[in-house]
Amino acid sequence: MRDVIVFIEQRAGAPRRVSLELATKAQDLATALGGKTHGVVAGAGASQAAEATKAFGLGTLHVAEGGVTAEYLIDPLVDALEAAAKAAGPALILVPNTMIGRDVGSRVAARLDAGITSDATDVTVANGKVSTVSPKLGGLTITTCAFKNTEYGVVSVRPNVFAAKPAASPTSSLETLTLPAKKYGMKMGAEVEEAAPELGVEEASTVVSGGRGLGGPEPFTTLIKPLAEALGGAVGASRAAVDAGWIPHAHQVGQTGKTISPSLYIAVGISGAIQHKVGMRTAGTIVAINKDANVPIADFADLLVVGDLFQIIPELTKRVEAEKVH
Amino acid sequence: MKIIVTVKLVPDTNADKRIDPGTKRLVRTGVENVLNPFDEYAIEAALQLREKRNDGSTVTIFTMAPESGKEIVRKALAMGADDAVMLSDPKLEGSDIAGTAHAMAAALKKTGFDLILCGTQSTDAITGEVPGFLAEVLGVPGLTYVRKLDSDGTTINAQRETDLGYVDVSVATPALVSVTKAINEPRYPSLKGIMGAKKKEIKMFSLADVDFTRAAGSDGAKTELLELATPPARQKGRVVNAADGTEGAGAIFDFLREKKLL
Ligand SMILES: Cc1cc2nc3c(=O)[nH]c(=O)nc-3n(C[C@H](O)[C@H](O)[C@H](O)COP(=O)(O)OP(=O)(O)OC[C@H]3O[C@@H](n4cnc5c(N)ncnc54)[C@H](O)[C@@H]3O)c2cc1C
Ligand SMILES: Cc1cc2nc3c(=O)[nH]c(=O)nc-3n(C[C@H](O)[C@H](O)[C@H](O)COP(=O)(O)OP(=O)(O)OC[C@H]3O[C@@H](n4cnc5c(N)ncnc54)[C@H](O)[C@@H]3O)c2cc1C
Repeated sequence: MRDVIVFIEQRAGAPRRVSLELATKAQDLATALGGKTHGVVAGAGASQAAEATKAFGLGTLHVAEGGVTAEYLIDPLVDALEAAAKAAGPALILVPNTMIGRDVGSRVAARLDAGITSDATDVTVANGKVSTVSPKLGGLTITTCAFKNTEYGVVSVRPNVFAAKPAASPTSSLETLTLPAKKYGMKMGAEVEEAAPELGVEEASTVVSGGRGLGGPEPFTTLIKPLAEALGGAVGASRAAVDAGWIPHAHQVGQTGKTISPSLYIAVGISGAIQHKVGMRTAGTIVAINKDANVPIADFADLLVVGDLFQIIPELTKRVEAEKVH
Repeated sequence: MKIIVTVKLVPDTNADKRIDPGTKRLVRTGVENVLNPFDEYAIEAALQLREKRNDGSTVTIFTMAPESGKEIVRKALAMGADDAVMLSDPKLEGSDIAGTAHAMAAALKKTGFDLILCGTQSTDAITGEVPGFLAEVLGVPGLTYVRKLDSDGTTINAQRETDLGYVDVSVATPALVSVTKAINEPRYPSLKGIMGAKKKEIKMFSLADVDFTRAAGSDGAKTELLELATPPARQKGRVVNAADGTEGAGAIFDFLREKKLL
């Protein structure tokens, strides 16, 4: 018997979708392990985020808000997850594979002397044993890992691989986690937002990416973003576009950018170099638009349209938008 | 300040064929190992800090790797680091994140440090979990995803990236910081640097030289690799030559509809 604990990452009272995906997945895993499910929500806005998480059916939500939790980015989150894990006993701990999730996951694993597997695209239980599947080496190999010599196992899970579904019975048990009033070594300022809050490439189920073929920053605003929005997706980019300063690094897909698994990836004016490919090769469907039929992406795109992106994208956006009206 | 930069040796991404389809094992022979590209940003950040402080601060490269990794450590030295320390021991084979972090910590306690700089992630296992784990094991503050860094010797002032922008963070040394590629543009080793690197010291540690009391390598690992599989290669798909925008857009629209992606 083993419980399953989900770290609910939240921002100003809103849980991140990936955490809700994990909450849904946790219930199947807990059934297979014969244990209960828990969620841990911490930081400013935690109570509000817990309310929004209730619908996803975790057994108990442990909430830590106020006091030190508001002033520091990571440490109190680690303390909260550690406290909930120690109270639950031997458990499988799921964290999102995001900037915050990776930090919290690795540090809790260290404190619990637990194993950790990363960027999982599947988590399964057979005969009480948990195994996790992760694409590694940029998707060139798929590893299956299990835990040994450890009571706790931490898994960081890639966003977008499980569905978030409201559960038949919502969470009825909310518990307050009281954290010790300790001083942390790190002093944080307030977050400075540089971009309008928009869907990140890691979480979007559709990503439209632009590359050097765009020729400058404007087409990201006039072509790529409207198409991404019409498809309900996010804007990505190749390194060439990022290095040219056309779009911030947060949008970069690839070896030195983000590794993503959207259902649909549209590469616009991107040649598909190996370092780009390793970031997106696990996408469900890949569509490429390129004026050259002999680019590397031709070898792995499900559809390559050979033509001028400046003519194709506005037309496509119009058709997708027209479809939405119906 | 004593600045340590941790670097990992990874197989070159350009060497595309790295899984033996028969044994389903990583092909290590004939594959060139390189310095993890993310670690070059950490080295550059360390060198800039040393240059700016200009007070006798030192930059030491640290890696946990087989002895054959020396060659790659020389590249880091050629960029301008002062010296290097390698933790090398056959017993470390099969280490996982936990084992790696504990062994690194044992060696780093031995060398001493004011600041440890790490890359964001490796390009082989790509976990990005070592920096946080290592900071916990060392019991020092761990500050990750940093894109701006300065220090007066006792405090680190930094900017940490977030999903929407950044936050300013300050922390007292000793501390561990991981940096992103937004922090700088790594320099190329100069000819003088390359020549000079040959004479710089690479100090070798084995497990016996550091205070490591855990089971090492695969014996002590908390994870086990059950399977390593080659995913089916993505196939070449449909190609449509579009005479104009209407035809190109139509081809994509129909395809998305057929795949139920609209
Ligand atoms: C260590 C390392 C790490 C790297 N990490 C990354 C990474 O994370 N992500 C990444 O993307 N790259 C990365 N790279 C860089 C990578 O090798 C390529 O240089 C980069 O991906 C190329 O970007 P691109 O496809 O936008 O540009 P290009 O290769 O220049 O391709 C532009 C494409 O646009 C097409 N085009 C031009 N005009 C039009 C038009 N009007 N209509 C249609 N098509 C048009 C061209 O035919 C061309 O194929 C890395 C490289 C190294 C060495
Ligand atoms: C395909 C594959 C899958 C793996 N899966 C797992 C897994 O699920 N769980 C697990 O516990 N282990 C796993 N491992 C083992 C793990 O990669 C090693 O333990 C490794 O040393 C941890 O580094 P990383 O690549 O994850 O580093 P990251 O955390 O991605 O690297 C971040 C930074 O840490 C520093 N660093 C990392 N390793 C070293 C080192 N050896 N010497 C000096 N500095 C270093 C570097 O500065 C680097 O930039 C896997 C290994 C491979 C090859």
